[in-house]
Amino acid sequence: MIIDCNANLGQWPFRRTAYSTPDQLVERLARVQIDHAWVTSLDAVMLKDVTAANEPLAEAVADHTQLTAIGTVNPKWPAWGSDVEACAEQFGMPGVRVNPNYQSWTLEEPVFADLLAAARDLGLFVEIAVRMTDERHHHPLVMVPPVALSGLLANALEYSDVPIVVANAKNAEAGSVARDSGGDLPDNLFFELSHFESVGGVQSVAENIGVEHVLFGTHAPYFYPEAATLKVFDECDFSEADLEAITHANAERLLAGD
Amino acid sequence: MSISGGIIDCHIHPNADLGSTPEETAETLLRYADRMGIEMMGLSLGPIFHPQPTEEQIEADNTFNANIIALHPDRFFGYANINPNRLYHALSEISERIENGPFIGIKLWIAMCCTHPNLDPICERAAELGVPILQHTFLRPEGNLAGESSPADLVELAARHPDTTFIGAHTGFNWEQGAREFADQANIVADTCGGDPDMGFVETAVRWMGADRVLYGSDAGGRSFATQLAKVHGADISDADKEKILRTNAKRVLNL
Amino acid sequence: MVIDCHVHVQGNWGTPDDRMGYLLEYADRLGIDRLCVSLGTSRDHEPDMDTIRESNDMVWEALEQHDRYIGFCYLNPCYLQGSLDEIERCIADGPFTGIKLWVAMLCDQPNLDPICERAAELGAPILQHTWMKITGNLPFESTPYHVASLARRHPDVDFILGHTGGNWEMGYRIVADIPNVYCEVAGGDPELGQTEMGVALCGADRIVYGSDAPGRSFASQIAKVRGADIADDDKAKILGGNMQRVLGL
Repeated sequence: MIIDCNANLGQWPFRRTAYSTPDQLVERLARVQIDHAWVTSLDAVMLKDVTAANEPLAEAVADHTQLTAIGTVNPKWPAWGSDVEACAEQFGMPGVRVNPNYQSWTLEEPVFADLLAAARDLGLFVEIAVRMTDERHHHPLVMVPPVALSGLLANALEYSDVPIVVANAKNAEAGSVARDSGGDLPDNLFFELSHFESVGGVQSVAENIGVEHVLFGTHAPYFYPEAATLKVFDECDFSEADLEAITHANAERLLAGD
Repeated sequence: MSISGGIIDCHIHPNADLGSTPEETAETLLRYADRMGIEMMGLSLGPIFHPQPTEEQIEADNTFNANIIALHPDRFFGYANINPNRLYHALSEISERIENGPFIGIKLWIAMCCTHPNLDPICERAAELGVPILQHTFLRPEGNLAGESSPADLVELAARHPDTTFIGAHTGFNWEQGAREFADQANIVADTCGGDPDMGFVETAVRWMGADRVLYGSDAGGRSFATQLAKVHGADISDADKEKILRTNAKRVLNL
Repeated sequence: MVIDCHVHVQGNWGTPDDRMGYLLEYADRLGIDRLCVSLGTSRDHEPDMDTIRESNDMVWEALEQHDRYIGFCYLNPCYLQGSLDEIERCIADGPFTGIKLWVAMLCDQPNLDPICERAAELGAPILQHTWMKITGNLPFESTPYHVASLARRHPDVDFILGHTGGNWEMGYRIVADIPNVYCEVAGGDPELGQTEMGVALCGADRIVYGSDAPGRSFASQIAKVRGADIADDDKAKILGGNMQRVLGL
């Protein structure tokens, strides 16, 4: 059983990728034995009213039990609370994603805490996408630095009952949060592995931050999903227990709110 | 669609290129309004737009518009121009031009941001007279002009004056954001004027504010009646809602 | 045979032999047979000749210990005579096979010409790092345009376009009509479509697998080929067949 905690539907504005529809994505992920994926909307990132992508996303995955839609919200946008409510109550989503860098806010601003409070009330997890693509190759008119993670740890401790997923973070970014925590990350903080690099990198990050904080993710179809499966199953030599944790048990625990 | 009675355009100006006299301006506007099924038009500002008008400019523009209304009282109505930086003059223009006629509303542009305390006596007077305040609202990505109000500024003012009705002009221009800002402040209605005829404008305003709180306006002569009417005619909303936006909401808000 | 055309000895733990043994353990898990290796621990952008020789000595040691490695001799073309001497020491008289150029000099400069002429005589391929960063390249960091200029002047030398310029959507187009340039998939994120576009624009005979390990994961990089929507024959060429030809193996 593999749960991909970081897949996407829709179109990235700066590249046409294959496998952008639910049918195609499900088939493509099944090719590497991924059974289930949490999907966010690529369209949502560059929209001003990001929530316009949520209903189409929910409708797109409605007929696919292999997919779970994760809505996108912007806590700097007027009346964003109703968007979070819609994700939970109207669309039955388990979590919401934010792109603070594309939405012009930081994790140190009060809006982040406000979002976590709203998520807590509705039983949602909050997912932060650190980046969408390599900063060195951005469109020249849309150069967006990655999300700084300062402020993450304090809020994770404050809102210890809200699961927080950090997606698209690199080794050093996950490592710096672990270091700030004194090697003891809060139970509610998770890092998704699609951007972990270097030889044996997933394993060294897992040892660094604790395997119970690692979620399997592909960033497909922007990335080849094989990158994640080869890293986890072929390159690293995780124990069976660790593989269970990374590929689905951590995600299931996150959803159960244990 | 046909509506019972003509369309009411809550937001036009007598731009200089429409004509140099009240007669010429009225004739030009009516020629196009007739083609578009517009029965009545709400005038404000003057032939030239003054960001920080003097008392003389205010009086000249108000007189120009009053003269248009006098020529065609069944086709034009007006908002009294005032400059809240000149509070005593502003209050005297309100008494002069509204209490004694012919204006039926107040127009505020960009002379002063509408969160300023000077606005309070103006709003109180509007409530006493039962007339709405048409406040320009805008959201520029590069930052608003000095003295230019945002939708959030108008919400702050409207919350202080629950008995006054405000028309949030342009729905903040960035209407995706403006409609949400206005949503919970019940004494604000929004107008649809100015800006490109972006598809989704009116649908979004109706979704967030309800069809009873959206007014058609054009911002003519700077904008075309056609492009601005297209926002309503082309919207995916019911005919009943279109009729509210094109006519009946304006009749209610402006006591026409 | 699977050949990784772009691996480094970098790191500051243990001996080079320790580090190379460690890399082979991971390479085995992904079925990689041979690894083209270059660059020692120094990450000086403009290394002097002592640093260059030290770097090549570190690779030399690895080559003597492990027959699965293929040596690429690191040069700083700013030191032209030193570079030519190092080619003699490492390639003509030593165990190295190719040349590695990084960011010390833009590779369209005249100093490169005598180096390329000697490479042609020795049949040594040249792996030139390239990137096109919207955030700004290093001062003397080559782009595919620079490699295109050099490769057109030296049609008898095989060039490996390191990282295909990073921004591969541009990189492939820049070298598409230059038959002696091979596009390497190493070093960027495993973005879907990268290998497919290379095959479409340059042909499967001119795309080669590389990882940039240990900075990058073998897995994330080989995924670009294994996961590509291309024929199995083409995958075999990209994973090793093309490099076998380039290296004369």
